[in-house]
Amino acid sequence: MSVELSSPDLKTDEMIINMGPQHPATHGVLRLILTLDGEICKHVEPVLGHLHRAQEWQGQNRTWFQYQALIDRVDYLSGMYTSWAMARAAEQIDGLVVPKRAEYLRVILSEMNRITSHLLWLGTYLIDLGAMFGFPFYPFREREKLFDLFEEVAGQRMMFNYIRIGGVLRNPPFGWFDKLKRFTDEFPDRIDEYEAIVTENPIFLKRTKGVGILKKETAMAYGVTGPCIRASGIPLDLRKTKPYSVYPELDFKVQTMDGDGDTWARYMCRIREMRESNEIIRQAIEKIPGGTTEELRKLLGTTGPEKDESKDLDPSFLLMAKKQNAGLRVKAGEGFAAVESPRGTIGCYVISNGSDKAYRFKWRNPSFCNLSVLPELLVGAPIADIMAIFGSIDVILPDVDR
Amino acid sequence: MTSSAVPYNLNEIGKFFLLSGVWLGIIFGAVWAACWAVGMLVPQLILNAYPNDPCALNVANAIRLLTPLVGVMVFIPINAMYMVLAERRGLALFTVRKGPNRVGPDGFLQTAADAVKLLFKENINPHGGDVLMFTLAPIIFFAPSVFGAIPLLAAVTSNHDLFKIVNLPTGIFYVLAMSSIPVVGIVMGGWASNNKYSLVGGLRSAAQAISYEIPLVLAIITTCFLVGSLDVVNIAQMQKGTDNLASFGFLNWNFFGAGAIPHYLDLLMQGKLEGAQVVTSAFWSLALAFCCILLCGIYLTGACAEINRIPFDLPEAESELVSGYNTEYSGIRFAIFFLAEFTNLFIVSTVAVVMWFGGGATPFPGFLDANTFASIATPFNQALAQAGLPPLMDGQTMSGAFWAIFKTYALVYFAILVRGTLPRFRIDQLLDFGWKKLIPLSLILLLAVTYIRELV
Repeated sequence: MSVELSSPDLKTDEMIINMGPQHPATHGVLRLILTLDGEICKHVEPVLGHLHRAQEWQGQNRTWFQYQALIDRVDYLSGMYTSWAMARAAEQIDGLVVPKRAEYLRVILSEMNRITSHLLWLGTYLIDLGAMFGFPFYPFREREKLFDLFEEVAGQRMMFNYIRIGGVLRNPPFGWFDKLKRFTDEFPDRIDEYEAIVTENPIFLKRTKGVGILKKETAMAYGVTGPCIRASGIPLDLRKTKPYSVYPELDFKVQTMDGDGDTWARYMCRIREMRESNEIIRQAIEKIPGGTTEELRKLLGTTGPEKDESKDLDPSFLLMAKKQNAGLRVKAGEGFAAVESPRGTIGCYVISNGSDKAYRFKWRNPSFCNLSVLPELLVGAPIADIMAIFGSIDVILPDVDR
Repeated sequence: MTSSAVPYNLNEIGKFFLLSGVWLGIIFGAVWAACWAVGMLVPQLILNAYPNDPCALNVANAIRLLTPLVGVMVFIPINAMYMVLAERRGLALFTVRKGPNRVGPDGFLQTAADAVKLLFKENINPHGGDVLMFTLAPIIFFAPSVFGAIPLLAAVTSNHDLFKIVNLPTGIFYVLAMSSIPVVGIVMGGWASNNKYSLVGGLRSAAQAISYEIPLVLAIITTCFLVGSLDVVNIAQMQKGTDNLASFGFLNWNFFGAGAIPHYLDLLMQGKLEGAQVVTSAFWSLALAFCCILLCGIYLTGACAEINRIPFDLPEAESELVSGYNTEYSGIRFAIFFLAEFTNLFIVSTVAVVMWFGGGATPFPGFLDANTFASIATPFNQALAQAGLPPLMDGQTMSGAFWAIFKTYALVYFAILVRGTLPRFRIDQLLDFGWKKLIPLSLILLLAVTYIRELV
């Protein structure tokens, strides 16, 4: 995608522009040093680290219990996944088997989180394309509903701290599953609405088709994961390629796009993933052991939404395989676990020495790896496409800088 | 979010209409009062005080000449305040939000508060910028849009005595010439800001204005050509329909082929068409109407680009250029840029109304026309006459102003709707669209209209 704007008689000079860290469209504090020839980008240098919060170091200086609450903030749009990766790594060291019901709840809430994350991406991406006040707010309509559901079950709208080492925090309240079911029934219609406005919009197609082409080889070489690599045609999805939790019991497809892997493919891939996540939630609601909270109460013969999950019943109805307290300890050893977040593969490598703090944490964050491919995509693109391309990669700056 | 037949935000829509009604009442009450005071009351008081004094007569006449200027000066700031508020509330409606609803009763005073805030903010001169040009830029951006609008006043008030003097025989050319000056202000502001984003924004604006002014002007020339006049008053009056064609109402508008369709229907009803003529005449009339609709579309597209509105708001593309040419502006200078932007939107809408949508003509004959307004105005005028004061309104002007305003705001709301729906073009796509699609299309239409005009 390059535009010829030069002429041999014209003396031109390159211009260096600092885009960010304070720029309305860099989604946080990314700084891009752009060398421009006219409006064409000749060289890009991303400057990272404005939001470095030493998350790994903090992990080594806080107890497991504290860090569990902190780690949600790394990727604040999909907090479930970071918690889940850490919980799985610790469970691996401890050799815990998470109860089935807890696994299902993890899947349901994570897929909900995937939808909210993609919805936010959809809104902000359209803002990046200049649809300044228009439909960006429509996705927030659905997102708010999901957040209300999150709030009911986790007590928080964005920083859930719901997935814990050994299980999940609590059962959803009465009526929660019904609400979620209603949401899954109407959500496909809502996606149809977005698609009606966006997918066939001629200006949107012009801005996205053939822009920011990410080839398979480049994507693999840079370690790109998530919807970005699936849009380039590689079916890399840990839920299928390296199944974890109860995903093998659920029926869903990995969404890949044929073709170049341009920004339109990345958009389309995310739209399809939202539909797929919706299906996963629908299935998981049906398959969850113990059924809805009301049914579970009936089964257990207790009333009221109080705790005490009656120890002698089916262990798959439990929520926790480990007692949660401030002095939570994990056995000595090392573990690695990866989950498929809305942005790609989140990996957590942790060494424990058996105390209440981890000895070493190392995170593999999808945003960081995906961002590394940005200079490759931007060189040769006009300045107006920078945000169209950058937005399509969907990075979260705290996730990049940690 | 139940999918019932009634829109769930009906309440908000009602509030929006209430807000619009109140604000429009304020605007036009104020403008009307100012024009009446300057154009009628003060001259008459002077003449009453010094009867038979030639000097007083001259002074009174000089004051009467100021009426259009005073009207515009009162109108522009209040109108811009309303338009900003309407845009914010309107966009909120489109995007399932509430919009500003805190300042004053239900947010009615939000923009008034914003205006006061902007007036008191510091004027920051960017380091290394050219202060003189930096200060002049908003003025050069704003002033032409005010002066350019003045001939339109005569057209929208049905050539009222007080506004006759501002009419020009080549009025529409004057409007177009003035409307191309503001781009100089944008380039100046972009260059003088000593900011790369501003500079890119200013240059983009120049490129965009040049590419889109051509189809815009061609669309207007073609219509003038069809109508046979450059005089805005003339153009507006002709769309009321002459003689027996007046009963066709809105079909007389230039939008529907500059009177071709009523002409055809008239001939058909009188039985003057025979055999194949019935079909061929209908075809050519419809073809002319189609050309005119396309011309209007080209004009509206070009106008959107000319005033930097989405989807052509590249000079201030927020996600790319922060805020483009006005990144470094603050305080009153920024307020003037802002004011001018909305005034320009209003003016291009007015031009479209005068050129295509019948100016002050009522769409349905007999519906809210001069007689209706005259019956409203009579009691007022009688009361004033008893007090020895000049009459406040006359039906002809009232009706013209009402319909012109109604249509203009309909177009403004259309622009708001477009803003709420479309993403932004990329600069090269924008220039491609202008040079490769709009300009050839407008040239083809010029040719087509030339021939079809003879066949109708």
